[in-house]
Amino acid sequence: MASLYLQSISKSFGDTQVLSDIELAIDDKEFVVFVGPSGCGKSTLLRIIAGLEIASAGSVVIDGNDVSKLHPVERGISMVFQSYALYPHLTVYENIAFPLRVQKLSNKEIESKVKQAAEVLQLTTRLQHKPGQLSGGQRQRVAIGRSIVRNPKIFLFDEPLSNLDAALRGDMRVELAQLHKDLAATMVYVTHDQIEAMTMADRIAVLNNGQVEQFGTPMELYHHPASKFVAGFIGQPNMNFIPASVVGVASNLLSVSLAGNVQLSLPVNCETLAVGDAIELGIRPEDIILNPPSDGFELNVSFVERLGGASITYGTVADNVRFCGAFDGNAAIQAGSTTLVGADVKDFHVFDEQGRALRRMLAPELAVIV
Amino acid sequence: MAKTAISQQKSALSETAFAWLLIAPAMLFILVIVAWPLLETIRLSFTDANLGGESYVGTKNYEDLLSSRKFSQTVSRTFYWMFFSVMLKLILGLIGACLLNANVKGKGLFRVLVMPPWVIPVAIGCIGWLWLYNGHFGILAGIGQRLGILDGPFEFLAYKNSAFWSAIVTDVWVGTPMVTLFFLAAMQGVPVDLYEAAYIDGASRWYRFRRITIPQIFPVIVSMMLLSAIWTFNSFEVIWILTEGGPRSATTTLIVDTYKTAIANFKFGKGAARAVVIVVLLSLFSLFYLLVLGWLNKRMGSK
Repeated sequence: MASLYLQSISKSFGDTQVLSDIELAIDDKEFVVFVGPSGCGKSTLLRIIAGLEIASAGSVVIDGNDVSKLHPVERGISMVFQSYALYPHLTVYENIAFPLRVQKLSNKEIESKVKQAAEVLQLTTRLQHKPGQLSGGQRQRVAIGRSIVRNPKIFLFDEPLSNLDAALRGDMRVELAQLHKDLAATMVYVTHDQIEAMTMADRIAVLNNGQVEQFGTPMELYHHPASKFVAGFIGQPNMNFIPASVVGVASNLLSVSLAGNVQLSLPVNCETLAVGDAIELGIRPEDIILNPPSDGFELNVSFVERLGGASITYGTVADNVRFCGAFDGNAAIQAGSTTLVGADVKDFHVFDEQGRALRRMLAPELAVIV
Repeated sequence: MAKTAISQQKSALSETAFAWLLIAPAMLFILVIVAWPLLETIRLSFTDANLGGESYVGTKNYEDLLSSRKFSQTVSRTFYWMFFSVMLKLILGLIGACLLNANVKGKGLFRVLVMPPWVIPVAIGCIGWLWLYNGHFGILAGIGQRLGILDGPFEFLAYKNSAFWSAIVTDVWVGTPMVTLFFLAAMQGVPVDLYEAAYIDGASRWYRFRRITIPQIFPVIVSMMLLSAIWTFNSFEVIWILTEGGPRSATTTLIVDTYKTAIANFKFGKGAARAVVIVVLLSLFSLFYLLVLGWLNKRMGSK
């Protein structure tokens, strides 16, 4: 098992800069998820780690050795592809055995390794089937089996669950997390699904426009997003953003005014702001309280999704700012009505004009969360 | 319910009758241009039809063929011809497809440059080859002499062996481009992921070709094998333009023999018997191919 260090990696295809100056240190046995919207460069970064693409600048360091110029096999990585990349003409057994046959191991060795992998992945009864006869989840497991038998230092996953249906995806998430625990291996996992990132990762790297926006634990990203982008990307439903302006700056207390003549005093580190600055407030749907004890906003409800346990409510506040709240499953709200909503001041996020987050002083501390 | 009620009201014809009506033109067409000539050929093969008329002779034509040493030589020559020509087309096609599939600059141009042998009319191409093979003026004999391989003019089409192989070379030249393009198309259909996965597992180029490319394009290889076998078996223009089946029948395949008998010598009955033999042989060949294909699909297919 191994640590992985990405040293100022850049990549461009012709004139298009895909990755710029990526710097990430991934610890031994860590499960790291690269998450970001399509085109953010996360898959390219994974392919650079794998050795399928060559970085335009920077180097890939595994266990202290620069492997940038080495073949994937010499790097000691294995990769699971989004399409699984199973060989349709070979049986499950031969698919899993493929990397071993390349290494020219004896039939006996191959058999014992394949059997062992099949056992771990519950494929023992499927070994003589062709991939075409398997369900999506089983194909996924064959692909994982093929990477396990190599006994690599680092496992790479390129959106491995995106071809599965929602229920199966949930199951496979748990299985992968379990596998990570059993193998005690370093894993790098690419996805665009922030739920996969939140549930499986030890640490998440949020990528945007070829740059790392933030690298941290899931709860760190949730409670202390470094930027508006991360705040909007992590968390479901997405965070609400409301424009506001600064009316007062004190030590760790920011006074803001919002449309609709609402004034708030927020406990954030605001030494970089001045009175009159335009800012944006962020508030997560799940932090919003229906009929708050203090004053709040008028929410014009346009749509309510009843999920049973929660009522996801969509509407607008103030000057047609889109707004979403997650309330109790039986909350008394109706589409078309207007209702008063609010939130505790400690739950607000504040972003300056560049989209950078201000440190929240009363949010759960990292030491406590982790 | 409402929908079916409406469609029933509107159509006077039953669904089956309508289906028959739709395929009727094609059926009629096939009956007239395929089925009728085929049946007529079979009927003719039991007669001694020539310009002067025809009368029923029973199986005499076939008995003559079976007892003729010349004819059995023609049959085995045809299979030689087919075997070597098809093999060369497949091998060269595979090599060509691999080269064209390589990610090099100007690959579009290379792909276009493969086409001419197939695009220009066979007759024109063969006349070009006729000049190449010419002993006194041909470039091949000229180069041979320059290099010292030949010590004088050499007429490639004048000797039994060289004529046979010269005809094969020309036939391969005509037939390879299409095989190449089919293989190329099949290769491009192989998902890149498979190669990348194998590359990551350390598989060499040759290993990837052997264990991914070949199995993945195998159905196309088998199909092209059958198609080009049939075309080569029945390939007439190349041989006729180059040698007219000569010298001393060295390049006379079944189709050339049939033409000579039926058309050149007006022995329609005997020619028809030969044509029927061709149909039977090719049918057997196709049947064999279908069996092999079924077996291969079971073994190499995805199910």
